[in-house]
Amino acid sequence: MAATAPAAPAEPELDRSGAEDEPRGTEPEEDGGNGQAGPTAGAQQQHRLAKLPLSRIKALMKADPDVSLASQESVFIIAKATELFVEMIAKDALVYAQQGKRKTLQRKDLDNAIEAIDEFAFLEGTLD
Amino acid sequence: MAERPEDLNLPNAVITRIIKEALPDGVNVSKEARRAISQAASIFVLYATSCANNFAMKAKRKTLNAGDVMSAVEEMEFERFLQPLREALEAYKKGQKGKKEATEQKRKDKEKQNTDENDKSRDEEEDEQEGENEGEEEDVEN
Repeated sequence: MAATAPAAPAEPELDRSGAEDEPRGTEPEEDGGNGQAGPTAGAQQQHRLAKLPLSRIKALMKADPDVSLASQESVFIIAKATELFVEMIAKDALVYAQQGKRKTLQRKDLDNAIEAIDEFAFLEGTLD
Repeated sequence: MAERPEDLNLPNAVITRIIKEALPDGVNVSKEARRAISQAASIFVLYATSCANNFAMKAKRKTLNAGDVMSAVEEMEFERFLQPLREALEAYKKGQKGKKEATEQKRKDKEKQNTDENDKSRDEEEDEQEGENEGEEEDVEN
């Protein structure tokens, strides 16, 4: 009987993919999430917290030349904030689709939302 | 691995799922709208990162931390996000702590295994006892 058999089936681990993207030395702060351990009940719950892959978010963050290092927590919060942003912009755009008596969200609904809503001002002129 | 910001998109399937879950049933999203939202999301990440980095630099830190991101979100006028973000962060930290402990436990188990292999040749009885101990440690891990 293998002493180290995991108790639960393995689930894709977002943090592991994040840890694999760079050498360990780059994250002095939260380095606990190496994801090499077998999944526990707590870890499974934690995977539900971020829908967007942290590795991709981190890669985007590093595209900024002024950014040297980012803690794992900061990557997670940006991922979560982005998720909330997507929800928000989709809902706000829907209002315009409904005004046009449509059930399909279209690009112009996005454009209208961006123009009308202050928080989306940073997007003006940026989308293809 | 020099990636340009334009090349880094977020996975379509995930973006689509987030959109669908936010909207009522029966609402569809055109491909162009989905693409635009995905682009907007990438730009949001870049903007939030830049903003957060300013806070880190102001504090003379080289590492962007959670607090910097929270400050950035507030400055970007997304105050409504702050409370859910705080809650998510707490849950995330708890999960990380569990993982850390599990990693520690795994490391201890491995070391114990290595020690066992050295002792195996000497005493079989002792080996059985070690086996029982390993079982106990497994319970703690779970």
